[in-house]
Amino acid sequence: MGKGKKFIMYLVLSIASIVSVFPLYYMFCASTNKSVDVIAGKLIPGTYLIENYKALIANQNLGLALWNSFRNATVLTVLCLLVCSIAGYGFEIYHDKGKDVVFTILLTAMMIPFAAIMIPMFRMFSTLKMVNTMTAFMLPSIATPFMIMMFRQASRSFPHDIIEAARIDGLSEAGIFFRMFMPTMKSTYAAATIITFMGAWNNYLWPKVILQNNSAITMPMLVANLLGGYTVDYGMLMLGVFICTIPTAIIFFAFQKSFTEGITGAVK
Amino acid sequence: MSDQKKKGLSLAKKHNLTGWAFLLPATLLICWMSFYPMIRAFILSLQTGMGVNLNFSGFSNYTRILKDPTFKQTLFNTFFYLIIQVPIMLVLALMFASMLNNKDLKFKGLFRTCIFLPCATSLVSYAMIFRSLFANDGFVNMVLRSFGLSPIMWFGNAWTARAVIIIALVWRWTGYNMVFYLSGLQNIEYSVYEAAKIDGASPMQTFFKITVPLLKPTILLTTITSTNGTLQLFDESLNLTNGGPGKSTMTMSHYIYNTSFVQSPNFGYAAAMSILILIMVAILAILQMKVGDER
Amino acid sequence: MKRKIVAVMLASTMVLGLAACGGGDAGTTDTTGGDDATATTEAGGDDADVKEGSSDDENTLTVWTWDPNFNIYAINKAAEIYAQDHPGFKVEVSEIQSDDIETRLTTAVSAGDLSTLPDIFLMQDNSFQKYATNYPDIFTDLTDSGIDFSQFSEAKVAYSTLDGKNYGIPFDNGAVIECLRTDMLEKAGYTIDDFTDITWSDFMEKAKVVKEKTGQPILTSQAGSPDLVMEMLQSCGQSLFNEDGSVNIKDNKALKPILEIYQQMVADGTLVEVTDWDQYIASINNGTVAGVINGCWIMASIVANDDQSGQWAVTDMPKLDDVDGATNYSNNGGSSWAITSNCKKVDLAVDFMNSTFAGSTEFYDDIITKGALSTWAPAGDSEAYAQPVEFFGGDAVYAKIVDFSTKTPSNITGAFYYDARDAVGVALSNIIQSGADMDSEIQTAQETVEFNMGG
Repeated sequence: MGKGKKFIMYLVLSIASIVSVFPLYYMFCASTNKSVDVIAGKLIPGTYLIENYKALIANQNLGLALWNSFRNATVLTVLCLLVCSIAGYGFEIYHDKGKDVVFTILLTAMMIPFAAIMIPMFRMFSTLKMVNTMTAFMLPSIATPFMIMMFRQASRSFPHDIIEAARIDGLSEAGIFFRMFMPTMKSTYAAATIITFMGAWNNYLWPKVILQNNSAITMPMLVANLLGGYTVDYGMLMLGVFICTIPTAIIFFAFQKSFTEGITGAVK
Repeated sequence: MSDQKKKGLSLAKKHNLTGWAFLLPATLLICWMSFYPMIRAFILSLQTGMGVNLNFSGFSNYTRILKDPTFKQTLFNTFFYLIIQVPIMLVLALMFASMLNNKDLKFKGLFRTCIFLPCATSLVSYAMIFRSLFANDGFVNMVLRSFGLSPIMWFGNAWTARAVIIIALVWRWTGYNMVFYLSGLQNIEYSVYEAAKIDGASPMQTFFKITVPLLKPTILLTTITSTNGTLQLFDESLNLTNGGPGKSTMTMSHYIYNTSFVQSPNFGYAAAMSILILIMVAILAILQMKVGDER
Repeated sequence: MKRKIVAVMLASTMVLGLAACGGGDAGTTDTTGGDDATATTEAGGDDADVKEGSSDDENTLTVWTWDPNFNIYAINKAAEIYAQDHPGFKVEVSEIQSDDIETRLTTAVSAGDLSTLPDIFLMQDNSFQKYATNYPDIFTDLTDSGIDFSQFSEAKVAYSTLDGKNYGIPFDNGAVIECLRTDMLEKAGYTIDDFTDITWSDFMEKAKVVKEKTGQPILTSQAGSPDLVMEMLQSCGQSLFNEDGSVNIKDNKALKPILEIYQQMVADGTLVEVTDWDQYIASINNGTVAGVINGCWIMASIVANDDQSGQWAVTDMPKLDDVDGATNYSNNGGSSWAITSNCKKVDLAVDFMNSTFAGSTEFYDDIITKGALSTWAPAGDSEAYAQPVEFFGGDAVYAKIVDFSTKTPSNITGAFYYDARDAVGVALSNIIQSGADMDSEIQTAQETVEFNMGG
């Protein structure tokens, strides 16, 4: 590649990165400033971080919210990836007319606005006496048509001759999935982890309806609590928001590395 | 000979059954968690009344939609976002992803994380920042002034307010879609690119002749999900503009939410509008699959 | 190696949070003690610590409310005072945003399961009628509960009264005040008295002088928000609905003059529209406007900038010129407590409310430190309300506001109040921002609300 082209590439990516990171910088600055300075649009870091932190932990149970969000998101991500990748793999590798029809029907499930099914869903869990349980919180998000579709599309590039070879070697069908497919599809799993974790971390509407007691507070609920009063302490709010953003960013940074390991490397 | 055939058949049968077993947990969960409530929502859409006093009234909620100027406005807004924003966003995402898939590039992890960050950013801060950037005496107008241009009341005019929503959407979701492309690109063997290089293909040619066709399944996936996401767009409409000025930036989902939880609740009508969205998304998805999913 | 760094980073965010566990949260997450004997909940056995709905403990009431510095502080304080005579009494507060309380109520009642509701919840006055009309089953009727509603301001009680039945105990005050920067008025040759008990036409002329002398608009408003218009409407005893519940937008004799005042002030440059709430607060704190008109709770945001101490004064809002029944007083915001039908200790809940929110000056004297002003008349006579407030030039603003609130005309809200407010906001936005025709916008607003009511 020419030097000029490379320069343009770095330039484009740098501009995109700066534009993308700006709000994070804004959040960071805001979380170190007094409320009055934040709304005045001060864009340099201040010295008010400790005060904002003290105000935040006096006001909200930050530790509990972080722990709940982290636990919910982690458990949900593991379950979702397992269930959806098996299904996506199944739809593609063993595909026939019948399964294609099922797939198309399942796909429509992702197209209904959540606000429309929330009340029937709540009614369902309340008859089952499951309001306020983790199970009720998780069940609706474990199998999502979107994730199944993602794994199905990814399975398309999984070489069929590997499957045949594995079968000849006497590996069971489940064995092929767990021992051949899963390690090979690292980058897909990484992408799916990022997306699912983020979705679970930021989920707000359903948990706030189904988990009704204080000890179930999550980070988005905590942030919402900071916004609710007659007066908003913007410094404290932005610190809360900043803390809420960091874990997803770390998860992304950790998992994006697997995007550099191509499929060929993993199979060998 | 006949022995072998018999064995083959049973093997195919076994694989078929394994396939179904693989699908079963997810399928059951989706039926339970989505279709059952969806059927309930459909039944609800055939009822009218306020609060809990509902009566069956056939399709009157559906005919009511036709007479609702607010729904027409939100329908227009939503499709406007869809047509402008989705192509821009996907092209940008694909461009960034293929740049970041370059083996010789330094700081890849950093660039990727930066570009991904917007969608991890909490909605609260993102909405606040965009509102203050585009405020009357905000940063964007300051830049315009410094170039001798007259400032724009971004949120005061229907078209500029819609433009802000589109800019915000592109900003927020480009990195998200990039993730899928990045992961999709990993499934393309790098040697294909090297072969193309040896054959003297230009980067443009490589992009259109190799990257795009091989990424087709991923492009299809992102197109369907972005279409779906845009037609259900809610957060931006509520938090950035609150549908204003007037109702000129309000989306269908925002209107449905208002009908259920903000205004005096009319669940039957809200359900009917939801079913209509479902049908529209389904039609678009089927069209996209027909175009993009030829095996 | 890299994996380690990531792990350390993740761990440190967690630690940051867990360190926070120790401090904070004044006992609100405390689960009820000593109720092991009675089965607390029928919920599925996943979470042992989970507790839902109304409390089973004889002496504990569960509460849904929001804002730790205001409502939550108040209810905890009330419980503390009540516990002095009733040992062992406590409240278990869940912090939930007002919108979320509404969503939960709607969801629960639509799903036909009221067992998840708490004993007591707080509701915005603007939403109260919507719930009382659509879901009367949620509430315990308090009409004959022994609470003396005549001691609250009439306009306030009206928000939570439907068909002659009382469903709510009035709490905080939303009396409208006009806050002005005395330093800026001085530059224009005025004092706060020149803006007291005046009419809008007078106000608009003086505002022009202030604008000329200081360059600052006198008022700020959030674009598309109907707040100011609604305040002006209520100040002349007008509502968006008639007594019979029909829509009163098109034929409302005050609405058009009000929209014209608003439009004229924008044209004069004496009223500046900002894009959102954050900018609205910023315009007040940054001194880019010389004043603001809103519910008295806006004071808490004004005093946030302590550099401006002594530069603000509080007075009543202007009144409309040629409208019958026009006054200088109005209301915006405020909320009321409700006791749910799920509450199994109604007597305790009523007695608790009656001894505190509807019967304790000690209580109201305390919560005034948080800026929570009473609508309970006897509280206004207490010494705490007469104390001078330095930030507002040593004026006894609290007593003033309680006085305003007793003079405020009532507002007919009803189940479709939000729909109507919103329609007026849309009309205002179209008129001011897009230059739409006023008469046709008013007509459209009327039609929108009628359409929503026709569903």
